[in-house]
Amino acid sequence: MSARDTIFARLKGDAPSKAEADALLIAPERPRVDEAALEAEFLARLALPSISATHDVIDDMAQLPAAVARYLESQNEALTLCMPPDPRLVACDWQGFTLHDRAAPDEAAAIAVARRGIAESGSLIFETGPTAPMLPNFLALHHIVLLRVDDIMPYLEDAPLPGVQPRAHYWITGVSGTTDIEGTYVRGAHGPRFLHVLLLRQ
Amino acid sequence: MSGFKDRADLALADRILKVAVERTAGTAEAKRAVAVDAFPDFEAARDRAAAIKDHVVAHLGAYLEQFEASATAAGAKVHWASTADEACRIVIDICKAAGAKSVARSKSMLGEEIGLPHALAEAGIGRVETDLAEHIIQLADERPSHIIWPAMHKTREQVSALFKAKHRSPHAEETIAAMAESARRELRTQMLGADVGISGANFLIADTGAVCTVTNEGNAELSLVPPRVHIVTAGIEKIVPSMPHAIHMLRMLARSATGAALTQYTTFYTGPKRAGDRDGPEEMHIVLVDNGRTKMREEGLAEMLRCIRCGACMNHCVVFRQIGGHAYGGTYPGPMGAVLTPVFDGLKESRELANACTLNGKCQEVCPVRIPLPTLLRGWREKSWREGLEPTSMRAGLSLWAWVATRPRLYRLGTGMAVRAMRMLGRKGWIDKLPLVGGWTRYRDMPKPAARTFMAQYKKERRS
Repeated sequence: MSARDTIFARLKGDAPSKAEADALLIAPERPRVDEAALEAEFLARLALPSISATHDVIDDMAQLPAAVARYLESQNEALTLCMPPDPRLVACDWQGFTLHDRAAPDEAAAIAVARRGIAESGSLIFETGPTAPMLPNFLALHHIVLLRVDDIMPYLEDAPLPGVQPRAHYWITGVSGTTDIEGTYVRGAHGPRFLHVLLLRQ
Repeated sequence: MSGFKDRADLALADRILKVAVERTAGTAEAKRAVAVDAFPDFEAARDRAAAIKDHVVAHLGAYLEQFEASATAAGAKVHWASTADEACRIVIDICKAAGAKSVARSKSMLGEEIGLPHALAEAGIGRVETDLAEHIIQLADERPSHIIWPAMHKTREQVSALFKAKHRSPHAEETIAAMAESARRELRTQMLGADVGISGANFLIADTGAVCTVTNEGNAELSLVPPRVHIVTAGIEKIVPSMPHAIHMLRMLARSATGAALTQYTTFYTGPKRAGDRDGPEEMHIVLVDNGRTKMREEGLAEMLRCIRCGACMNHCVVFRQIGGHAYGGTYPGPMGAVLTPVFDGLKESRELANACTLNGKCQEVCPVRIPLPTLLRGWREKSWREGLEPTSMRAGLSLWAWVATRPRLYRLGTGMAVRAMRMLGRKGWIDKLPLVGGWTRYRDMPKPAARTFMAQYKKERRS
């Protein structure tokens, strides 16, 4: 008998009823979010010490390169950026920047577009795809994220996007941190040490 | 290996260990309390979390079948292992088929449970532990002492010495930040160059076939995205019906483990790289491991299958806080470990763990899925008694006590004499040495008893 058969032989039982599984999800306990002030709620969480992200606001996509330049210069970083082939990003005028789309092992800065922002936790939601690689967002020291204000949703239940699940769906709620030595918090354990969100109001 | 009592003796005598455990567990306890207070109705949320897990365990076969079908449809290959050895063999075979010389491993307690580090070494496959704490204990050639902070037994001074001896370009400054930076330099190239990435799973989503991992360091993603092959090893109880169920459990997990609202990185992997994807593994293998779980379900330990490995029970355990994790001797320490270790290592070998518990109930109070840990530990004590595993001295002692206790007049006479004798040994309210229980009084003092027994005082009150 295969291991699979052995295991299933011991797990015979009724199939679960969908209604029973759904009933477990009615009115979940979760942090309160003022749904009339999602942007403020989201930004308040971003500023918490556990996340410590900075942010800037832009009114349209044309302002994006200047906002990125402002941030990198404030961090004494060169205008060198790992940028995925996302058409919204590629369409901007990046004059003055050195761009590339494959992250180097010691990448200084990478930009990405978040699919959602979650007010409950200050999370940024990403999905992989042909124009959205995953690795640069974990390699770069500075992680710069573009998020449309309209994409801010109240709860984590709003994170999954409709349609076919991508290869990877991931939530980023802060920077790479560790408390593995004496419980002391250190930023930039393996990945980003800085997280900067550019909110697009358009 | 020495017995539990010997290991506990050594741990109790280790002052550095006590400081190290207290620093991390104490912080975790305080931060959890703040997070739970800030959460609306955490008690109801615990009920819901327990109900979700009970629902899954009741229908485990059906949910596993659903997960297998969904993951397979997404392009992953699902493997099944009844035992730890079988699971290791499957992983090694996949590594060999991939021609792997090195694997990057993202911390997984299931991996420790099945002995994967050892199996990889035996197969001659290089292993890079990418979680900072696992990296520390890999360098020190030790086992994890906690399920969330595997290196909590190490002080900063010990970590510093280790990194200076083993890292290629170690830190110059004696700060924790500089030590973490040294590990970052050391590990990054190794992660990017690995042939296979191996992870556990915090949750398996039945309806989508996704595997969820959570980390604060982002090391799971850096270990699992670059290599050509991703292998997941997961216990069969990790299933949840759907993403919203996982979301509820995630809210409970981080708050209970570290006091954070959420871990920094939460990723759901559904199959290997898709057409057009710019990164991700070409193969994804999911090894679903029983290793005693179906037996637990049948033999009165189903509630233990609720466990989401948050570590809150050990952070709040007075015994764990005194002796740390290594003294327990198994893969899992603390109260949850004391329940699980007899399943994996046998009750005969680990029966003392169930006795290393004050039954103060603190673990049950903080468990996010309401596992009745003290009841389960009592269950092991009873089984150990029934099966005659307790030593003769214990059986004779308890039989004698039972004989006296069922004769009230004799019992009162005996306790009355004992109280008087103990009061003669006490000084300033405490007894620091007591005949026959030297093992107990070596590490702590016993409060001097009241002048008269409870029954004597009770009778006196009733008369007046």
